[in-house]
Amino acid sequence: MKHHTTFVHHAVLLLAVALHLNASAQGARHTISGYVKDAESGEALIGANVYEQTTMRGTATNVYGYYVLNLEPGTHTIVMRFVGYEDGISTVEVQGDVKLNIAAVPKAIMGKEVEVIGTRTGENTEDTRMGTVDLDVQKLNTLPALLGEVDILKTIQFLPGVASNGEGNSGFYVRGGGPDQNLILLDDATVYNASHLFGFFSVFNADAVKNIELIKGGMPANYGGRISSVLDIQMRDGNEKRFSGQGGIGLIASRLTLEGPIVKDRSSFIVSGRRTYIDVLTKPFINPESAFGGSGYYFYDLNAKASYRLSDKDRFYLSGYFGRDVFDFRSSNEGDPNFRIPWGNATVAARWNHVFGPKLFMNTTATLSDYSFAFQAEQDQFGFELFSGIRDYGLKVDLSHYPNARHRLKYGGQYIYHIYTTSTVNVQSGDTQFNIDEPPKLHAHEAALYVMDDFDITDQLRLNVGLRLSTFAHVGPFNKYLLDDLGRTTGTEDFAAGEPIASYAALEPRISTRYRIDGKSSIKASYNRGQQYVHLASFSSVALPTDVWIPSSTNVKPQIGTQYAAGYFRDFLDGLFETSVELYYKDFDNLIEYAEGADPQNNGNTNYDAQLVFGDGYSYGAELFVKKALGRLNGWVGYTWSRTMRQFPDVNEGREFPSRWDRRHDLSVVLSYEHNKRWTFGATFIYATGQAVTLPVNRYFIEGRLVSEYTERNGYRMVPFHRLDLAATLYNRDTRTVTDAVTGETSEITRRWRSNWTFAVYNAYNRANPFFIYFGSEGNPGQNTFQVVAKQVSLFSILPSVTWNFEF
Amino acid sequence: MSTRITSRSTQVLFVTLLFATLVACEKEITVDLPVTEARVVVEAIIETGQPPMVILTRTQSFFAPTSLQSIADAFISEATVTVFDGTTTHDLIRLCSNLLSEEQIQAAAATTGIDPAILANANICLWTSATLVGEEGRSYRLEVQTGDDFLRSTTTIPHAIGPDSVWFKLAQQQPDDDSLGFAWARIIDPDTIGNHYRWMAKRINLGPDGSPKDAGFIAPFFSVYEDRYVNGLTFDYSFARGSQPFSGAQDDVEERNYFKVGDTVVVKFVNLDLASYRFYNSFQNNAATQGDVFSTPANIVSNIEGGLGVWAGYGVRYDTIVCVP
Repeated sequence: MKHHTTFVHHAVLLLAVALHLNASAQGARHTISGYVKDAESGEALIGANVYEQTTMRGTATNVYGYYVLNLEPGTHTIVMRFVGYEDGISTVEVQGDVKLNIAAVPKAIMGKEVEVIGTRTGENTEDTRMGTVDLDVQKLNTLPALLGEVDILKTIQFLPGVASNGEGNSGFYVRGGGPDQNLILLDDATVYNASHLFGFFSVFNADAVKNIELIKGGMPANYGGRISSVLDIQMRDGNEKRFSGQGGIGLIASRLTLEGPIVKDRSSFIVSGRRTYIDVLTKPFINPESAFGGSGYYFYDLNAKASYRLSDKDRFYLSGYFGRDVFDFRSSNEGDPNFRIPWGNATVAARWNHVFGPKLFMNTTATLSDYSFAFQAEQDQFGFELFSGIRDYGLKVDLSHYPNARHRLKYGGQYIYHIYTTSTVNVQSGDTQFNIDEPPKLHAHEAALYVMDDFDITDQLRLNVGLRLSTFAHVGPFNKYLLDDLGRTTGTEDFAAGEPIASYAALEPRISTRYRIDGKSSIKASYNRGQQYVHLASFSSVALPTDVWIPSSTNVKPQIGTQYAAGYFRDFLDGLFETSVELYYKDFDNLIEYAEGADPQNNGNTNYDAQLVFGDGYSYGAELFVKKALGRLNGWVGYTWSRTMRQFPDVNEGREFPSRWDRRHDLSVVLSYEHNKRWTFGATFIYATGQAVTLPVNRYFIEGRLVSEYTERNGYRMVPFHRLDLAATLYNRDTRTVTDAVTGETSEITRRWRSNWTFAVYNAYNRANPFFIYFGSEGNPGQNTFQVVAKQVSLFSILPSVTWNFEF
Repeated sequence: MSTRITSRSTQVLFVTLLFATLVACEKEITVDLPVTEARVVVEAIIETGQPPMVILTRTQSFFAPTSLQSIADAFISEATVTVFDGTTTHDLIRLCSNLLSEEQIQAAAATTGIDPAILANANICLWTSATLVGEEGRSYRLEVQTGDDFLRSTTTIPHAIGPDSVWFKLAQQQPDDDSLGFAWARIIDPDTIGNHYRWMAKRINLGPDGSPKDAGFIAPFFSVYEDRYVNGLTFDYSFARGSQPFSGAQDDVEERNYFKVGDTVVVKFVNLDLASYRFYNSFQNNAATQGDVFSTPANIVSNIEGGLGVWAGYGVRYDTIVCVP
């Protein structure tokens, strides 16, 4: 009851703040508002700058392409600028509120590769946002990619403050945070596990994605539920002018995207699919009688979206993602188990945009997120199953309010109903089914209210202040196991449907500020605190189905993250180079890990949290970023110096130890060079301090068998990781010559069908980067031939690839 | 008990992955590990009707020399060892391998798991008693003083629960295979939670060299289990054949994991208390997952205060299987 009272109290407070700002927002100004869209495809443009030419005061479009400007009455020249597009200039007579939709004309086809891959110009020093990077996905194709598969998550790993989890892995770790602390949104629906099996590929098919925004620090109040970062991914809406498509054929996968109008200029669709064919390619070479006969692995992704414009005030979007991994292993080797690992993600988002008036924009989203995996194995009449999953039903309402030129307000609320299936097992031997209870399902309500104001106090000082109230309640039905002193189950305590078991609430302040020193440089600082009600517990060091999402409840407290950051931002040569230095300190409370020696097999018939241990952590670091935004040669250099530590009373005898994602040095270089209209070259380089691993320090024998003693957790460093990747893209000619049959005159016309070849070399100088180290023994002590050895396994040596892409 | 399947699965999974990528490579590296103080390791057992047996060693740095002599150097020969049975404190007596005959060395090797070559070439000592034999339901406190190290532990010999029946069944991994198979047991678990089991087996029929195929009892990997999921059930469970550590024997290469038609197998069914169960369960995981990238490194859970290893009470029942198709 106490929580309810607090909740209501906070809600009232938030509304009061919002209303106060609303009331103070009176002014004699008028607004210009509307959408910015691509003139050729009708696709909404995210983050396009729209400003008044004389005062240079302006704004950027939101994720739906919507903008609002507040102006004095009179005649104004409005400029729209966006990379890859011609400047749009409109003269507007402002006597009352004006609606101005802008159709942005793409620059010449080949010209767009000259533009930057990362953020848009001007925002570097202007925005209050820190540690935030936007990526235009369509421009990533010229960068080298593992086996030619463009992967947006791997590109993110090149940004300062973002670490990868080793060779080829698409998992990312932001400023010392764990993989579960990244809020990954696909059209506002949460994606729980963004990797395909083993983590070599992310689930995002770049062809279907329009824009990506990564927020590493200074998380605005409209985001919550995760404490390290937000990765906000917007799917493309589809071409509402004409039917078109694109696709590619690569070494291990092929892609096809089709899009077009349903009703021209009013509604559109896009469908994008991708499937790997390692299984198909390798099948002819695998003897069905061999050890690997009957085995196969593939994954597929399907993205689909439809959008419909009911009127200038109302738009609807329906989007979905469905992806599945299927791994089948059937061995004819005696004694080897057969197993099957199906797993996958599905998300659905239905969104409704409504413009109440020029100053108030609303988006309502209903979402469904589903993630599930199973691990089924059998061996010699012995069967074993392990499964886990999560399903969310969500609803959220976000309002963007532009009361006057100085305030940009956002407020809204969110509700999610979670159903978690925590890991459980099922075992049978012969005909005997073992006594294992049904997988426990955990039900929880999560709700949040927020308000934030992006406020220009003076022309120099801008403040983004926000407050988020989050609440979480684990409710019945639930059977809690009662355990004795030895951890053995003695009975259960049963909770009825809806009966509260544990509940939490928190006020999360979010503040970031920008002080503009001059037109070229600014200082920014931020403080934010967040609470996270879901945790990922992992049994292994790679993305395997044994990782389990675990909600907060009586014993598992919410994770709390607090981050302080400050930075200096400066543009050089009229914005040609954007640079920044950011410092951060981050504190984590209530982290979880599996206890040493924990085993997924022991998750049955006991509480889902029985094998967990709890602790804290911190991370601090400095990030340098230099980006060349324009020109034939563009790209960035990022460098991070950081330290990430963990402390758990029950791990490492309570002593502090480095996290697996602790990287002292991390340097990355991303470059793209347009040689001419037909050839573009790309290169990426990464250097990172070796990963911290736990290695055995001592050996002894039990019953004559060699065993290991481990002392310091993550006490050893593997050798540094570094790698250079190269790519070259060859475009076919974008025009063809036609001769007029009557006049005999020749002219160049743009080809409808365009294609390119991307040639890439992964690990160009063939560095043997460590993937893991293992210790083993050889020989026989009795024969005096015994030896212990350490071996380092590297995954990818130099690896060329070729991909053919097309669009029409 | 499902550990065997998950652990094996992850290994196979990984090998498959390497095959799939066709590009993985491995190389031997030198690793500069920190040097820590050696700790005393206790391997001590007291079982139904048998005197206690205690072996003491010290841990060695992982990359310490690996010659026969260096490994023999790990054994401790100077210690005072006592066992208190609730009424009397028994001073254990020391037996050292330099006083044993060739035959006794073979017997000692079979009981201790120590390689006979090590027993023959170095002076390896164990401690036992002429006055004390294990009784089911009784607790025993072990105390060891060696140099500056004082170690102690208490264990209980649980009441033994033997299998209802045991038999041999062909595995038929290959359809035409009519000789290789597993040992099976029908187990009736009592209706009280907290029973812990370990299975060991010894082939007593003669091998090609004229001596019994197995010198001693061998516990295969993944033969330790508890009744968490089988409490009060009657169920059939299969056991693979274990191999001697570092064995290069013909049958351990060609017929690894299998018993064979014609074998006579003595089965030793062991009941453990919880602490001993945790030790053997973590021991088999530690020994079996050397180099397994998918498992988190985990130390063996010891029940020894002041050192490593185990003081285990074995409640024991025996049975015999004659392997016929």
